[in-house]
Amino acid sequence: MAVTYRTHMSIIGDILTTTRDESPDETGASVTYLIRKANVSYGRLSKILETLVSQGLLEQSSSDRACKYRISDRGREFLQAYRGFREFADSFGLRI
Amino acid sequence: MEVVFESALNLLGFVVGLVLGIFSYIGFRNTGSPTLFRLNIAFFSIGIGFGVVGFGDLMELWVFKYTTVDTWIQTLGIGIQTVGYFFIAFSHGIKSFFPKSRYFKSIAAPLFILPGNSIEHIIRSISFILLVYGTIETIMSYMESRKRSALFVATGLGLLALGEFLGWYSIVFPKSILYFVSVSTKIVGLGALFVPISQVPMRGGMKIGGNI
Repeated sequence: MAVTYRTHMSIIGDILTTTRDESPDETGASVTYLIRKANVSYGRLSKILETLVSQGLLEQSSSDRACKYRISDRGREFLQAYRGFREFADSFGLRI
Repeated sequence: MEVVFESALNLLGFVVGLVLGIFSYIGFRNTGSPTLFRLNIAFFSIGIGFGVVGFGDLMELWVFKYTTVDTWIQTLGIGIQTVGYFFIAFSHGIKSFFPKSRYFKSIAAPLFILPGNSIEHIIRSISFILLVYGTIETIMSYMESRKRSALFVATGLGLLALGEFLGWYSIVFPKSILYFVSVSTKIVGLGALFVPISQVPMRGGMKIGGNI
């Protein structure tokens, strides 16, 4: 059985899905929570989160204890488009 | 009259290829995915290839008033289509290496050797092999995912391969109806590739780009 690695795009999809569907509370998901749920290393997650926030797909809220991330409306739109095109690529037996 | 029908079919292929290419381009713009970029190149090439043959034939008949159609137009169009088929097969080649089986070589080698006396024969052979490879990979993907759209894509690629094979055969029997059947089969094959698009909700306005 060949090992299949997730693409960069699918990791982003997993992070956005986690922030949308599995956030523990209203304020959003913490970095630790995302590391565990999206199965990404801290170093990689930090870079991706920075990009997603700068692109307006995630909203960052800082409190005394930690940064939390919540999906934005733009992020929801992106996630919907991403899923559609992933289905399209899947039909060709490919991964985006 | 026959040439006009064939040109019309080729122009239909041009439109279908362009629509699929545009859809893939929208996907690439939205997600920045290299896979969708390769599909975008593939479908544009296939569409342009059909267009070159269709427009070329019509130009020669109606504008230049030639009585017979030049074969180089056909060769050029099929060559451009082959670039498209290459990108579809190449996308699969990235995730699974080209099979090294001697059985595969024994099947593939004659397809290169037999029609070795003409550029068009060689190009059609390459297209055929690339399409069969793409079909097999897509069927294997269907076996894993059981997604019905993958079955439509496999059927589409298979029909494109059959169309290329019939096209190759029509060179052997130039006066037969085979070329017409070949182009028709390829159009139906391209049509089957439309099925995955119909399942994607089209929404405008999302332009995230390749920064992600």
